[in-house]
Parts: sequence; C-alpha cells; structure tokens
Amino acid sequence: MNNMELLEIKDLNKSFDNKKILKDINLTISNGKIVGLLGKNGAGKTTLIKLINDLLTPTSGEILINGNKIGVETKKVVSYLPERTYLNKQMKVSEIIEVFTDFYENFDEKKAKKLLKDLDLDINQQLTKMSKGMQEKVQLVLVMSRKADLYILDEPLGGVDPATRDYVLDTILSNFNEAASVIISTHLISDIERILDEVVFIDKGKIVLQSDADKLRNKEKSSIDEIFRRMFKC
Amino acid sequence: MLNKLLKYDLKYMIKNMSIFYILAIFFAIVTRLLSLPEHSVMIKILTNISSGCVIAMIANIIINVMMRSWVRFRDSLYKDESYLTHTLPVTKNELYNSKFIQTLVFYFVSFIIILISLFIAYYSKDNWTIITNYIRTITIGLNMTTSFFITMAIILIFLEVFNAIQCGFLGIILGYKMNNGKAGYSVLFGFITYLIAQSIILLLVFIYGLFDPTVMELFKTATINIDVKAFKSLAIVSSLLYIAIIFIMSAVCKKELSKGVNIE
Repeated sequence: MNNMELLEIKDLNKSFDNKKILKDINLTISNGKIVGLLGKNGAGKTTLIKLINDLLTPTSGEILINGNKIGVETKKVVSYLPERTYLNKQMKVSEIIEVFTDFYENFDEKKAKKLLKDLDLDINQQLTKMSKGMQEKVQLVLVMSRKADLYILDEPLGGVDPATRDYVLDTILSNFNEAASVIISTHLISDIERILDEVVFIDKGKIVLQSDADKLRNKEKSSIDEIFRRMFKC
Repeated sequence: MLNKLLKYDLKYMIKNMSIFYILAIFFAIVTRLLSLPEHSVMIKILTNISSGCVIAMIANIIINVMMRSWVRFRDSLYKDESYLTHTLPVTKNELYNSKFIQTLVFYFVSFIIILISLFIAYYSKDNWTIITNYIRTITIGLNMTTSFFITMAIILIFLEVFNAIQCGFLGIILGYKMNNGKAGYSVLFGFITYLIAQSIILLLVFIYGLFDPTVMELFKTATINIDVKAFKSLAIVSSLLYIAIIFIMSAVCKKELSKGVNIE
C-alpha cells in the first residue's frame, strides 16, 4: 500500500434535529493498529462507527477508506460488528454462513466453521433458539472470519460475561489479519487495555485525545483506564 | 450481486408465503372432493366450511403479499437486519431493484395460485358457462373481444396493486428519513404518495381527453353508459400511465435511497 491512510475522517459533523451529535471529527488510522475508541455512554462512539459503515449519513464532512468514499469498495474491506444482534433470527447459522460466503469475497468459510465448532455452536441451529450471548459469539466469529482491511467492533464485550471477555479478545487478536487495523469501541477500558496500540478518547461528540497507547501510559504514568477515569470524572 | 440479493429476498417470501399457497390449494382440493353429486347435509356443511377456507386463504394471499413486501422492505432496510443489508458490498439501486423484482414475482405467483385454487375448487361446466356468459354480456356491450377485456382487466388490477405497493415503499423511505415517529410517517407518506400518483394519472387522462372527445365525455357526464371507444382508450392509456408512474416512482425511490439512510 502507498502512503494512503487506511481510514481518514475529515471535518465530520452529524446532527439530529439541529442537535450536533458529532462535531468536527478529524481522525486518521493507519494499517496494522488496534485502536480503542473510548468514551462514556452517549459520547458519540456508535454514531461515528455507524457513519463509517454507511448506516448514517453525515451532515457534512468526508470519510475515506483506502482513499475511497463510503460505498461498495469500502464495504468489501470493512468487517463490522454492531453492538446489537442484527442477523435474521429465522435463519440457521449455516444459512448465515451462506450469506457471508455469497456476498464477501474475503470470507473464510472453513475458518468460520472451525471457530464455531471450537465454541460448541451447532451450525444447524436457528438463531432464534440460541441465547443472546450465543448469537453474539456467532456474529463475532462471522466478522472475524473475513480477511478485511479494517475491523470495526462496537462494544464487543458489552453483553459478554467477564469469563468470556478474554475469549472474545483472544478471538479478535488471533484472527485479524496483521496488515489490517481494528477499531474497538467500548467503555470497558480495563478489559481491552492490554491489546491496544492507539487510543482515541471521544466526549460530547468531539475527539479530545488521540495517542499511542504506550506513549500515553508512560507520559501519564498510569493505565489508560485511570487516565480515562480522571479525564471524564463526573 | 442483484441475483444474490434476489435469491435471499425470494427465499424470505417463499418461507412466509408458501403456507398460504399450500393451504389455499389444500382447501380447494377438499372443496372439490366434498362437492360430490350425492351428499348428506353434513357433507354440505363441510363443503361450505372448506369453500369459506378457500376464499379466506385467497384473501390472505392478497393481503399478505402486500404486507410482507412492505415488512420485508422495512425490516431489511431500516430495522436490525439493515445493519447487515447496508454493510453488504452492493449499491442502493441493487437493494431496491431486488425488492422491486421480488414483489413483482410474488404478485405474479400469487395470482397464478389464486387462479389454480379457484379452478380446482369451483370449476364445472355450469360455473364456466355462467362466468363466460357474464363476461360475454359485458364484452358485447362494450364491443370488444373477451380476451381483450380479460387481458386489460388483469393488467389494470395488477398495475394498480403494484403501484400501491410501490407507494408504500416510497412512504417507508421518506418516513424513515424522519428522526421520530418513523412508522407513522411511513404510513402517512405512503398514503400521500398514493393519492398524488392517482391524481397524476387522473390529470394525465384528463389531458389525453382534451385530444380524445370520447374520453373527455367521461369527465362531463354522470351516466355510466360508457362509450366503447372511450373504454378501450381509457384502459390502454391508463395501463401505459401506470407503467410510466411505476418506473418514475421507482427512480424516485432509488434516488432517495441513494442519498443515504439513518438507521437507529
């Protein structure tokens, strides 16, 4: 890849009913990074992620992925895990695998089936007959089974019990393509801190800090979690 | 990618509609089997119940194709499932075209199933004679062939219903652009779109009437003695206008969709 950044966001704004949700967002993310998009509930993390995934339309500004505006080409290289269960619950896991195989050229069907087997998830089971936690695991497996350039994971630990969180993080770490980048949005910072290369703090719709995780820890002589707590203390 | 989208849209409709198709044909067969020349009072009662079920299933098919098309459109493009739909590497045009073709296919299939059910349940020489005589009475009065009358009637009904479904699609697209009360606005915009589409067709027929006095007569008189020529012209012009409106509305839907969505 040339000097082109993986993700470039320029002067991005998003309003609902004249209420500004995101204000002048400028953000650049290079290849090969795990980036924590950190902020309190309602800070604008999900709005930003939805804008990158074409689920929201910007009020103004521009989003480029590999130099392309959001569209068919960017969707081929972005693998997105929403914060909710979004798959058609009438479908069996095997049918959902078929959907991913049909639409995403970079989807590795064998890998998905192996990961599901490791998790003791039956691919012939309907999603509606699975617990919410199981559905979330299926979604994570599907998303991580793509050889994408950019993985965007919105609250991947949100509905997961503490015992499973390490498994989720390990799945992310061991399955993403190393030339790719991962954006993880969460407010459970202590759980993901160990895997982050970069952090982006977002508050009230504005990016208030973007830094290398290690540099920030050394500079502040404390963990990212502590820095976050200090910055956003109520 | 359109063929892949269509595959899943058709699968969804098959899953949801096949039960009504099967039941309609099942009750049609039962009605036929029970309609034997010699039968008791109890069999007669069962025949009437079964016949009622055939009619209920046919009504169900008509309503369900319309409702399922709208629900599928809304769920796939604006509800939880839209998180997958809008992140697939496909264009908004392909998304819309898939829903458009799916609706077209299922209306046609439903129409065929309804005809088959009616044929199985009620076909007899006597019934056929009654229907053909009735249609002949109309067509002789209108001075047109039976095949022309039936073809035009089917085309007009088909186009009218399809137009209504598409108005619903545009209503959903516009309704879900609002920040609040999306479902309510969808119904409202769908209804307004339908009224506008019908008004445009009526206006264009009126404009056509300026050049065809027989059609203009329909706007001037209150009697139902329709001139034969006027009926033929009206049927053909209306069909063409419906087709034009359907394509224009389809283009408007795609344009609005391509402006982007705001998923909750």
